[in-house]
Amino acid sequence: MLGKGEKRKFDEHEDGLEGKILAPSDGPSKVSYTLQRQTIFNISLMKLYNHRPLTEPSLQKTVLINNMLRRIQEELKQEGSLRPAPAPAPPPPPGPLSDSYREAPPALSAPPPAPAPAPPPPAGGDLGSTTPLDACLTPASLLEDDDDGTFCTSPAAPPAAPLRLPAPAPPPPPPPPPPPPAPEKDSFASALDEIEELCPTPTSPGAAAAAAAAAGPDGSRGCAAAKPDDPKLMDPLPGNFEITTSTGFLTDLTLDDILFADIDTSMYDFDPCTSAAGTASKMAPVSVSADDLLKTLAPYSSQPVAPSQPFKMDLTELDHIMEVLVGS
Amino acid sequence: MNEYRADIISTVEFNHTGELLATGDKGGRVVIFQREQESKNQVHRRGEYNVYSTFQSHEPEFDYLKSLEIEEKINKIRWLPQQNAAYFLLSTNDKTVKLWKVSERDKRPEGYNLKDEEGRLRDPATITTLRVPVLRPMDLMVEATPRRVFANAHTYHINSISVNSDYETYMSADDLRINLWNFEITNQSFNIVDIKPANMEELTEVITAAEFHPHHCNSFVYSSSKGTIRLCDMRASALCDRHSKFFEEPEDPSNRSFFSEIISSISDVKFSHSGRYIMTRDYLTVKVWDLNMENRPIETYQVHDYLRSKLCSLYENDCIFDKFECVWNGSDSVIMTGSYNNFFRMFDRNTKRDVTLEASRENSKPRAILKPRKVCVGGKRRKDEISVDSLDFSKKILHTAWHPSENIIAVAATNNLYIFQDKVN
Repeated sequence: MLGKGEKRKFDEHEDGLEGKILAPSDGPSKVSYTLQRQTIFNISLMKLYNHRPLTEPSLQKTVLINNMLRRIQEELKQEGSLRPAPAPAPPPPPGPLSDSYREAPPALSAPPPAPAPAPPPPAGGDLGSTTPLDACLTPASLLEDDDDGTFCTSPAAPPAAPLRLPAPAPPPPPPPPPPPPAPEKDSFASALDEIEELCPTPTSPGAAAAAAAAAGPDGSRGCAAAKPDDPKLMDPLPGNFEITTSTGFLTDLTLDDILFADIDTSMYDFDPCTSAAGTASKMAPVSVSADDLLKTLAPYSSQPVAPSQPFKMDLTELDHIMEVLVGS
Repeated sequence: MNEYRADIISTVEFNHTGELLATGDKGGRVVIFQREQESKNQVHRRGEYNVYSTFQSHEPEFDYLKSLEIEEKINKIRWLPQQNAAYFLLSTNDKTVKLWKVSERDKRPEGYNLKDEEGRLRDPATITTLRVPVLRPMDLMVEATPRRVFANAHTYHINSISVNSDYETYMSADDLRINLWNFEITNQSFNIVDIKPANMEELTEVITAAEFHPHHCNSFVYSSSKGTIRLCDMRASALCDRHSKFFEEPEDPSNRSFFSEIISSISDVKFSHSGRYIMTRDYLTVKVWDLNMENRPIETYQVHDYLRSKLCSLYENDCIFDKFECVWNGSDSVIMTGSYNNFFRMFDRNTKRDVTLEASRENSKPRAILKPRKVCVGGKRRKDEISVDSLDFSKKILHTAWHPSENIIAVAATNNLYIFQDKVN
């Protein structure tokens, strides 16, 4: 298990991070710290969505896990802000509890303490605020060389990429990303390496979230262009995966239910793209997750939708990575 | 082990004299044990505890609004001081507190005029004489009746109840609010603490435990998931949102990890019998605080520090969220708390000695003396030691109780209750 109590030296550069003792700048320790952080990130996400559906989950547990995710996210942002970045810091993340508490199914009087197991159909505007897809999108998108002008924060141009993938049409235009600095190309390669290292489990959230986290800081910078209250204003249409916030790994269950409710599973067969990409090993987990996705195609049943979230993230994330690699 | 077994003990509590010991379980049942009167014939036997009463306190409910079950698991039992022949206790699940009266009946009236012995009405025409019913002995019957039900006051899960020293009020605490009740009034309560943020997105801290001061009926403490304790004075204002004292220990930078916050979350807070100290339990330690010193505890005891390097695994399997309780002995000189592998730990505050004991059937026969256990952290393992990797994390001792005046302890190990006494010479 990670976290064997490796000694870490205090890194002078990371003074700003509340004096945290971080990995030194040399390679191996920093990678292991990043890996551990990534693992904890994944575990936290799984926990939020894998509770017993019959009773209310413990609010204390939910709050502690949320805090953990926020902390990791802050850390990633600050790491990202240490690199040269054209964009200012991103807006503070909307609380992960916000969507959960708003989207309580029949709870009219009191907000439930955690994402409800069987959320009702969403009410449009509220749902667009945050999705895990946002976070997953950022790294791949950022690695493109598009200029600032194409970075779109307006809700008017949702790419809805993964949803339309099964259509015979050519792949939809990728979500316009903010420009990454040139060194990010190298970080992408290293990010993919990290994904590879994390790939041991067939459950793909590791891959997706790894990519998200590894290049996360870039994503967060990309979100800088977004207005602080963008999460609230995001387009309610499904498939709005714009990088308006970097905070969206705490998913809006209802939105995702709608997104994937009617989707044919054949959509998630990425094999043609995979072979074309040449990075088949990285994309391999996607096909495994299709089985899991099958389980999620019952959003309005009494079964928990929970386990699907990381896999849904995975799909969109990989989709965009594919687009980048294919050079669309 | 199936963790959803209904007979898993979820709370243990002695009453104020130690004569009774109550347990609550996951199935909503309360079992009360009573100590045998010591007999002169068997001086070598101390009074043992036998089952006195069993009753179903709470039933599972269904919240139709949220489509969620409300567990019947008894979270806490608190006794009221005895004021007459009957015993009173509070028991609570996640949402509802109930006041139970446990009373004995060992006589019954016989010789009614209008009813016959089976209770059927007699034909008035056959009644020719008048007599006064008399009480005759019967087999002892212990009956429990619910006297009050305090419901619909908590949106979140109740984690604590505490009887005030005025014996007229008590408080119930959930994740975000604390309510003050009068025992006689069930349809309303006063909200005295509310930490729910206007915007739930900003919620980062919850209430984890609360308790009234043992002597000052205006004072109480509550602990949080961020490792802080607040002492509040109800005389200051109706809503005790501002604390009188704030207890928090600064974080040790050398021990910082991803899990620092989670392991700092306080799972239990208990006033000493004297009222001078409070004891808190977080995941790895027990701390004793002096009410007059807010910036750090006066004592810190490591319960199972060998788990510090395993926090990631314990986070993954949810053990890191286990809520261990802690208890004082009657003289506040020894504190006790549970651990894994059915181990529990005692710390003598004066001698600074500590001991690890195990509550398991295999290792203890009646009247046998418990053998101290030791966990070996690394390197060579001695014969009787157990290595960290062999610990059974499904066998956790979360609930223990200490007799108010004698050295008798009750230890709940999953669905078994162990009662240990001092060795009798």
